Amino acid sequence: MAAHQPAKAKPRRAAWAPGYVFITPTTVLLTLFYLYPLVRTIIYSFTNWNPAGFRAPHGVGFTNYINLFHDDTFLMAFRTTLIFVVIVVPVAMASGLLLAALMRTPLRGRTALRTLIFLPFIAPTVGSALIFTYLATPFGGLFNIPVRLFGHAAIPFLTTAPWSLVAVIIFSIWTQVGYTMIIYSSAMSVIPTSYYEAATMDGANSFRQFFYLTVPLVNPTTAFLSVTGTLTALQAFTQIQILTRGGPTGQSTTLLYWVYQQGFVTFNGGAATAGAVVLLVIGLIVATVQLRFFGRREPVDLQ
Amino acid sequence: MSDMTISLSSRHGRRASTAAGTTARYIVLCLAAIIAAFPFLWMLLSSFKSSGELMLYPPTFLPREWEFSNFTQVFEQAPFGRFYANSLFVAVCATAGQVITSLAAGYAFARLDFPGKNIVFGVLLAALLVPFELVFAPLVDLLSALHWLNTYQGLIVPNIGSILGTFLFRQFFRNMSTEIEEAAQLDGAGIWRRFWSIVVPMAGPMIGAFSILSFVYNWNNYFFQLVVVTKSQLFTVQLGLATFRTVDSASSFNLLMAASTLAIIPVVIVYLLLQKQIINAISGQLR
Repeated sequence: MAAHQPAKAKPRRAAWAPGYVFITPTTVLLTLFYLYPLVRTIIYSFTNWNPAGFRAPHGVGFTNYINLFHDDTFLMAFRTTLIFVVIVVPVAMASGLLLAALMRTPLRGRTALRTLIFLPFIAPTVGSALIFTYLATPFGGLFNIPVRLFGHAAIPFLTTAPWSLVAVIIFSIWTQVGYTMIIYSSAMSVIPTSYYEAATMDGANSFRQFFYLTVPLVNPTTAFLSVTGTLTALQAFTQIQILTRGGPTGQSTTLLYWVYQQGFVTFNGGAATAGAVVLLVIGLIVATVQLRFFGRREPVDLQ
Repeated sequence: MSDMTISLSSRHGRRASTAAGTTARYIVLCLAAIIAAFPFLWMLLSSFKSSGELMLYPPTFLPREWEFSNFTQVFEQAPFGRFYANSLFVAVCATAGQVITSLAAGYAFARLDFPGKNIVFGVLLAALLVPFELVFAPLVDLLSALHWLNTYQGLIVPNIGSILGTFLFRQFFRNMSTEIEEAAQLDGAGIWRRFWSIVVPMAGPMIGAFSILSFVYNWNNYFFQLVVVTKSQLFTVQLGLATFRTVDSASSFNLLMAASTLAIIPVVIVYLLLQKQIINAISGQLR
C-alpha cells in the first residue's frame, strides 16, 4: 500500500497540468482586467486620486463617501436612477410577457412579427439613439407632431426637463422589449400544450389561462429577467450619452453616468470610485433581494 | 336534443371568440412591430431627404427628391470604410479570443480534475457581478501604464476573458455525455488529441451560439471603445457615428440619418439572414 501510493501520485500530478493550462488564459485576463481594477476601485475610493493628475493619491478615509451624500448632483442621480429602473424594468418585462403570450400559439406571420419586434435590441445603440435624436427634435421631429396639432410650439424634448429623462426611459424600454419577449417566448415554449388543453376543457378563457397558467409557470424567467434587467438598467450609458449627455442640468444623469462624468470629465477620481462602489453595492443588494423574493415562491419544474 | 344544441352553440361561440381573439392578437402584435421597426424605416427614408425637407411640417413620407449626395457627404466627412474595418477587426479578434479561452476554461472547469479548481472558479464568478462600466477608471489607468490606449490590443485584449462564456461552456460540458471521450482515452488518445478531435467538434453548436453572442457584444461595446480610443484612425463604427452627434446637429439631420443608415443597415441585413441562429443564441443563455 505504502509503495503503491507514490507510483499513483506521479501520473496524477502530471494529469493536473492540462487543467491549469486550459484555465490560465481566462484566469489571467479576468484577473488583470476585471478583478485588479475592481480592487483598485475600492482602494481609490478611500483616496483623493486624480485620474489625470501626476501626484500620488493619498488616503482620505471615508471622506469621499461622506461627500457623496452631501452632493446634490449625486443625490439627484440617485433619484433619477431609481425612477429609471422602477419604470423601465417592469414596463419592458410586462410588455415582453404580453407579446410572448400573444405569440405562444401558431399565428400566420409570427416569425416576421417576432423578427421586427426584436430588431431594436439587436441594432447598434448609438445608431438607434441617433434616430431618436431626430424623432425628438423640434426641427421636424415626429414626436412633435401631436404637440403641434394641439397648437403648442414644438418642444426640444432632449434639452427640456422632464422630457429628456422621459425620452431616455422610452428609448430604453423600446430597445429592451424585444429581449424580454424572446426570453419569455423561450420559457413558454417548454410549457406542455396539454396544460392549456386541460384548462380549455375546464372552461378557462384566454385571460384566465394567461394569469393562472402562463404567468406562474414562467415565474423563474421573471426572476431572471428582473435581476438581469435591473443590472442592465443600472449600467445604462450609451443612450444617455447620445440622447441627452445627462442634461439638462443633470436631469437625466443616472448613477453610472454621474460616475463617468466624475472620472472622465471632471477627473474627480475619488468621487468616481466611491460612486462606483455604491452602485456596485446597490446592484448586489437588488440582485440578492430579487432572487430571495422570487425564490420564496414555489419553484415550477417542467423538466 | 337540448344537450346537443348547447354543445353546438358553445362550440360556435368559441369559434367566434377565437376569431375575435386572433384579430385582437394581430392588432397588438402589428402595433408592437410598427413601433419597433418604424424608426428604422424613417431613418432610411430620411437619409435620402434634403436637410430642408427634414424640417418640414407636416413632414413628407417619401423623399421628394432622392438625395444620394447625403451619403457621399458622410464619406467625405468620415472614413466609414475605415470605421467598418476597425470594428470588424476588433470584434472578430475579441470574439475568437473569447470563444477559444472560454471553451478551454469551461472544459477544464467541467471535466478536468485539479486542486483549487472550485476556488478559482468561484473567484472568477465575482467578475460576472462586476460590469466593466464600474471599474473603467482604474482599467484605463492600467491600459495607459501598458501604453495600450489608442491601440488595437487595447481594444481587443481586455475583452477576451469572458466569465459568461466560461460559465456557458462549463454548463454545456457538464450536460454532455463523457462516453466517447472515455472510449478515446482507453484507446490511448492523450488530452490534447481528445480536446481537438472530440471535444471541440462536439461543442460545435455551443461554439456557434456563443460566437454570435460574443460578436454582437463586441460590435456594440461603445462605452469601452469610448474610454480606450481618442484617435480617429482607431474609431470603430460606433465611435465614428457618435461624432455626428454634435450639440447643434439641427442643420445636418440628413447627414446624421445617412451615417446611422450606414451603421445600422449592414447589421440589420446580417440579422435578417441569421435571425434564427441569433435569436436561439440569445434565448439559449437560460438553458
